[in-house]
Amino acid sequence: MNCELCQLKELDVEYFEIREVLQCILHTIFFHRALGLVRPKDIDLQLFEITYVQCGDAELEKKVDEKIDQFIDRIEKHPNKKNQICLSFFEVKNKQATWFTHKVEHLYWEQWYININVAQHPKPISGKSHHSKLVLDPGESASDERNARRATLESSLHEVLFQIIKFVNEKKDHIPPIPNMEGVSFPYEITISRLVFYYYFYFDSSDSAFGMDMFKRMLQTGHPTMLS
Amino acid sequence: MDLQYNNSNEQGRNEQIISQFLLKTLHIVLESRVPSIRPSGRRSLVKKSDKWFNLALGERPTALDSLNFWHRNLMEPMIIDIILVQEMPGTTSTTSGYGALVETVIERWVVQYEYSRTSHQPNTESYKKTYKKSIILLRSLYTMMRLLPAYRAYKKLCISTSKGCGFDINYKVSSFSAPFTRTEEDSMKHYSFFPVEAQQGHGRLSISVKYRESLSDFNLETSPSFPPEIIITDYVGSPATDPFRAFPNKHASTSFPVREFQSPAPPPQRPHSWTNGLIRGPGPHGSPPVHRSSSGRYDLSSSPTDVIYGGPNYRPPTPSHHHSYDDYQFQLSLSPPFSPSPSPSPPTYSHSRLRSETAPVSIPTSPRYLSPNLHLPPPSPRSTTRYDESPSGVRSLKKSDMSRVRDNKDDSGRFSGLLSSSGSPRVGFSRSSSSRLSLQDELLDDIDFSCPFIVDDVDTCDSPTVSESGSGSVGGGKQGGKKSQDAAAVGALVRMLRTAPPLRQDSSCYSSSLEAQFNNSESASGLFMARSTSDALEELKAYRDIKHLILSKSVLAKEQGL
Repeated sequence: MNCELCQLKELDVEYFEIREVLQCILHTIFFHRALGLVRPKDIDLQLFEITYVQCGDAELEKKVDEKIDQFIDRIEKHPNKKNQICLSFFEVKNKQATWFTHKVEHLYWEQWYININVAQHPKPISGKSHHSKLVLDPGESASDERNARRATLESSLHEVLFQIIKFVNEKKDHIPPIPNMEGVSFPYEITISRLVFYYYFYFDSSDSAFGMDMFKRMLQTGHPTMLS
Repeated sequence: MDLQYNNSNEQGRNEQIISQFLLKTLHIVLESRVPSIRPSGRRSLVKKSDKWFNLALGERPTALDSLNFWHRNLMEPMIIDIILVQEMPGTTSTTSGYGALVETVIERWVVQYEYSRTSHQPNTESYKKTYKKSIILLRSLYTMMRLLPAYRAYKKLCISTSKGCGFDINYKVSSFSAPFTRTEEDSMKHYSFFPVEAQQGHGRLSISVKYRESLSDFNLETSPSFPPEIIITDYVGSPATDPFRAFPNKHASTSFPVREFQSPAPPPQRPHSWTNGLIRGPGPHGSPPVHRSSSGRYDLSSSPTDVIYGGPNYRPPTPSHHHSYDDYQFQLSLSPPFSPSPSPSPPTYSHSRLRSETAPVSIPTSPRYLSPNLHLPPPSPRSTTRYDESPSGVRSLKKSDMSRVRDNKDDSGRFSGLLSSSGSPRVGFSRSSSSRLSLQDELLDDIDFSCPFIVDDVDTCDSPTVSESGSGSVGGGKQGGKKSQDAAAVGALVRMLRTAPPLRQDSSCYSSSLEAQFNNSESASGLFMARSTSDALEELKAYRDIKHLILSKSVLAKEQGL
């Protein structure tokens, strides 16, 4: 089975915008991949005029928030302009078990790459209070610039959501049988990576046990996101 | 033989998926655009009919029940117009206290099933694949509804309090629509979802939309009130009384079944948010709008096009409107069939906006609209009169409509999913029960499907006939012949029951239940559903026996008397 990849448009975000942007994108993807019975839940973003839809699974919400916390922590500790979150869906295949090993293989059938460019700010935001906004600079030009940037980001986020909708509808044949009718129907993993200068030095900060697999896949899929 | 059965089974299920897809799409579009269409009651449990495509939207609006049956032909496109209604600024108030209203189509959704015998890419796509892909398509539709500009207007309407917001959103569902003018086309963008293939690649389910890119031209932020002087004090839709207001949280989320709007306080100022500081005036004082045309707009004539206008305060368009509605000859009231006249309430625009009943519009219907399960021959004049006597002049029938009642056979294979699974409601129910159980058992074995084609609740307070018969319509083509015979038998029975004097207590109850059915298809259809054809025939025989007995006794009495 082929693995479908979707590279989402890069987004330039401020620190305090990361959470909402990632929640919006991740939940929109999950809403299209939780094919069991869902009661959709509309969420209005605070920072943007965008409403996205969650599939109403509390467990998923918690996991997504945890991942976003990890991402924000990592950015604060290792500020890097370009960051990427990879959401992968896979099938669990049991390899032939021997006497001593019982290897479980993940067959990835879909991967989403969320590309986030974080504006470099010297002040990390403390704790989890990521809802706090930066202090507005005095002066009209700064606020105008901020408004313009915010409007651009909102438009880009719209484009990303449209991109997701387009992708999920155009590519449907690769979706495997649904193993779980509750919540997110397919096993998934979210990995966080930051792309450093050299493409070959790929730092995998994923908490998945299959980091090497991810690295191999990166090379095989030829995913060359070079820094500008 | 098996192959034939499999093919007809596949075809039946495909048709069922398609008809449910249309219904679900309509539900999604309307519940995301028309706040008033949402039912007042909420149920915590997900109804089985709501589980279609694994997207539980909540209780189906009552208006949608009357729209269930409009779509007679699966091949006809379903066009849903979302109409923005605003008061024309600068107009003098009329006797109703209103100026002229301007209606603009801000979105046009086209949902269509296209079928081609000769497909360039035939495949072995089974109905299960079609169903799975439809699930994803409907998820995308649900998401898209919240991304388009009209959603902002909808949200504004939802949170509008007694002060009002100066505009309203209505809808129109039809299978034909007047094309946009060049100016309108220029201001609209087009989006098409990737279609879903069905029926071994011969069919395609497609959804597309034309939408206004920007609603800033309508000044929704600073719309005038209706009229500006009067403030509603006991507006039902106010935060204090709105049952949909729930518990705000930091995300201002909307969760099912409690739909949550922003807190009663003014919404937080966003960079591009609309402020809500308008005062809303009263409605048309409970009367139809004065500019309601008397031209033949509400007259009924037979036409292959059915048009349903929606929105709680729908008024007919004035000549100054952007669109000409002259092509639309059928109009169906949004109020539930045979609903009583609008309840006495404070005659306010905003209040009436929340009610599901609209200004009374006389509408043409064929019997199928009145009761989805009645596949009857043209009713007797007595029944026609009864329809005319329905309150609020909601419905009036014409014989031309009667003559368009389809043959059962014609419908059973194609649209029996919505109308009925058989000629008679009783037969349909009993037959569909057995067929439903077999379908459900079969599908439960398949892990991909947990609840399609499921047994729907026999809920007499709703209109269960559509969904129930829908689930039983699989393999409808095979049952066509039997259905017509049963339909004829039931038709004869019904005629007899109507015209016969009550011979015993039960008969009067039965005829009154018939009346109740025609007066309220929702509740009485449950009574119909509960009886099978065999019961009806037995009762017919019993009546005949009693009649003969009485006649024979009277003859004997005469002879003895003489």
